[in-house]
Amino acid sequence: MKLIYSHLKTFLPDLKIDPNQLRDDLALIGHFVNSGEKIDDDFVFDLDIKVNRADCLGYYGLARDLSVLYNLPLQITNYQLPFTNYCLPITVTSPDVTRVQALKISRLDNTKPSPDWLLRFLKLHQVNPVNLLVDLTNYIMFLYGLPCHAFDTQLSTDHLIWENNQKYADFITLDGTKLKLAPDTLMINNPNTALSLSFLGGQSCAISTNTTETIIEMAVYNRSRVRADSRQLKTITEASLRLDKELDCQSIPLAFAHLTRLILDLNGGRVSSSLFEYYPQPVSPPQINFDPLKPSLYAGINIPKDFSFNILKRLGCQITNNLVTPPSIRQDLALEEDLIEEVIRFFGYQKIPTNQPISSAPLPDITPKILYLIESLKDKLTRLGYDEIRSWPLVSTPLNSATVVATQNSVNNDYPYLRQSMIQSLQSQLDQYQRLKLPQPQFFEIGKIFYKQHHRFIEKYALGIFHPDPNQLQKDLKTLFPTHQVNRQDGYAEVILDDLPCPSSYQPSLQAYSAYELNSQIITLDANLNLDRPKPAQKLIKKYSSLIDPRLLWQIQLIDVFHDPKTKLFRHTLRLSYFNCNDKTAKSTHLKTFKLSPSRSVSEK
Amino acid sequence: MQTEYQNLISLAQTSSELENLRIKLLGRNGLINQLFSDIKTLPQDQRHSYGQDLNALKLFFEQLILKKYKTVRSSKIGHSKIGNSSFGIPKLGHLHPITQTERQLNYLFHRLGFSVYDGPEIETDEFNFARLNVPKDHPAREMQDSIFIQEPNILLRTQGSSIESRLLSAEKPPFKAAFPCRVYRNEKVNKSNHFIFHHYQGVAVDKDISLKDLIGTIDLMFKTLYGPDVVVRYRCKYYPEVEPGLGPDMQCFSCHGKGCSLCKGAGWIEMGGAGIIHPNVLKKAGIDPKVWRGFAFGMGLDRWAMAKFQITDIRTLLGGNLAYKPNEK
Repeated sequence: MKLIYSHLKTFLPDLKIDPNQLRDDLALIGHFVNSGEKIDDDFVFDLDIKVNRADCLGYYGLARDLSVLYNLPLQITNYQLPFTNYCLPITVTSPDVTRVQALKISRLDNTKPSPDWLLRFLKLHQVNPVNLLVDLTNYIMFLYGLPCHAFDTQLSTDHLIWENNQKYADFITLDGTKLKLAPDTLMINNPNTALSLSFLGGQSCAISTNTTETIIEMAVYNRSRVRADSRQLKTITEASLRLDKELDCQSIPLAFAHLTRLILDLNGGRVSSSLFEYYPQPVSPPQINFDPLKPSLYAGINIPKDFSFNILKRLGCQITNNLVTPPSIRQDLALEEDLIEEVIRFFGYQKIPTNQPISSAPLPDITPKILYLIESLKDKLTRLGYDEIRSWPLVSTPLNSATVVATQNSVNNDYPYLRQSMIQSLQSQLDQYQRLKLPQPQFFEIGKIFYKQHHRFIEKYALGIFHPDPNQLQKDLKTLFPTHQVNRQDGYAEVILDDLPCPSSYQPSLQAYSAYELNSQIITLDANLNLDRPKPAQKLIKKYSSLIDPRLLWQIQLIDVFHDPKTKLFRHTLRLSYFNCNDKTAKSTHLKTFKLSPSRSVSEK
Repeated sequence: MQTEYQNLISLAQTSSELENLRIKLLGRNGLINQLFSDIKTLPQDQRHSYGQDLNALKLFFEQLILKKYKTVRSSKIGHSKIGNSSFGIPKLGHLHPITQTERQLNYLFHRLGFSVYDGPEIETDEFNFARLNVPKDHPAREMQDSIFIQEPNILLRTQGSSIESRLLSAEKPPFKAAFPCRVYRNEKVNKSNHFIFHHYQGVAVDKDISLKDLIGTIDLMFKTLYGPDVVVRYRCKYYPEVEPGLGPDMQCFSCHGKGCSLCKGAGWIEMGGAGIIHPNVLKKAGIDPKVWRGFAFGMGLDRWAMAKFQITDIRTLLGGNLAYKPNEK
């Protein structure tokens, strides 16, 4: 939701707050400002308005919040309109209509251009101007958060019907798009033609500069109906984004009168009907029992009783003893906790101390013991030299089609199945490591495997391990599971953890490990050093590691020591792996490093 | 001689054989050097071409041996060993960055008396939404697109709060539990977005729990992750499962609140959500909200892990090109 700072003064003429301060204050009371931009001498904010505050999808609702925050008077004008006796022949048959107001205006001059302030407003809201009448309906929607629409009555006639679709297959929108209609779509039609959707006008009665007579309407509907129609038609508009939320019917007269006044003042014309009003079941706002001490209990700090009542009154609540009736515009206030939040947010979350966490007194341990098993296995596996991976649980092919669990709308159609074995994931990871030429990968993953059984979905924790040396894997499995038989296949093994005994406790240990994002293949090169006696591996590795940029060096290993009986020298073969660099860099680093040694030879692996 | 040694080199099976041949040919006392020493016995006019031929021969053998080295196996003497613990240096194993982060937080919450909890990844609409105060046509459902197993009732959990709703139903208060978890949303996968997220969530239910307890706890969590100088503000924020709701924002570390491209001009970065558990959520779990009150919080771990480990692509975290230096902790 865009917000133009200067335009807030429509409702808050005394607003003088610094725009940067306003940005922060809006966030603190619940309206996060995604971005703010200075344009000419004004500020335009882009607000994140949450779904529970449909009232703040208009300047009016935001101004109400700010009037409470800054204790400023809210300027609202109730316009009086000159109706005639002509009753519009409008029918409402749909049960999805909550309230409609409509009237007719004749002798319009819609050839007049929109004034500069209106054009600027729409531009800053990223809405294209169309013509004066349409621009005014868009303006009022942004001002009050209530969509409205205008019909050219020379095209639509006065006979409007709010109904759920029973007969139309298609609908042509204002921009000429043809939509396929479903039954029960909420529409505004005349007896012969589909004219409009609840949230989107139609081409058949579009307002143009030739329009001289119009019926304007403002309505609130069953939000679920609007939501369903919008999703079914895959069409989202500024109007639908508002109409699919809880809107305030009681604000319609205020907004509708303002729209009418603007049209009369700017378009010319005169009202040529009575006010059509459809509001069969006015909703009474809830009455909420409110304990003024509760905000203090919920906040954890003292909030005076008087403050609570003061805030609620400034929000427009009626208070009788401790019974609070919220204003109709605040459809989100239904429970005592909602009122408590209002008090605290205006008191200021920032006043709550940040240095008093919850008491650390332990409560009975409810940790599932399998989590202890998982963590202790992770510790053991890393001590044995295994790296932990995490992978997609979605795979491309099932191991057992009869029991596989399939997603209905996977993000990737090539991977629709939930894995039935950890080995499936390990194989994918090994492929990736082989593509990267990672030397001697050795890794594990503990995660869930999934399958169907007797129409139930089962998921179990499983450990998957890979080691390039099956004999070493066998030894490691014996260390990890001395009494449990583990199935293995080549370098892979899998254990279902749900079947194993679990430790009764576990102390989490903190260890920090590094990790790297590889963006190219690892390059492995050998170097031979002829020395007069064998050198310990650690010394050699330490020496040569210090000569090479750690941002390039992946690993040094001493892989061979060969004693030449003739020369009596010991040839030490070092194997170096370089990462995140190209061949040229790896080789030049390698040669540069080993020119420093007494004798050398280089071979590439 | 060239042919003879060319054959011998091609037949060498091990690097030690090759080394022997190299020394025999090219060593200080090798054949080539012996032939060089014979140059002084030749007439003057023949020495130049003889020397040239010998140099060419030497180069020929050097290149042949080098080429052959690439194909022979290493010979082993004594304790040489390739692989896991080369010459006594053990390969170190590593935990995944997400696990490291989870442990860091588990350690903190363990000290605060929290248990760790868990729940199913295949979840029902009931526990994933309905029990969290999000009925079927609630606009809050728009916030999370689901991956279904059986639409509309069985899906992959979209939020860690599904574990919260299971915990609230299963356990009797008071209790405190944290739950690191993996969640799934129907999102396009690209460099900065994934359909699998890692969340860290927590719940505490007791009598007289307040926002002060919650804010103090979350603040400790942020200081644990980001250091004692991190600047965090706490503000009102809507989530259907909490009321009052709370949102922690971290001051953008790049512009320190002024607004920049990293924080898209906001000056602050949203860091998850929290609040006092909604009374409807407690009631659905059979917990009397007049007696018990609780708080809940949650945050994503992926972006934190990416920033800490300088990972630029979120896909790296899951089955991607994440690897660990074998001898580095």
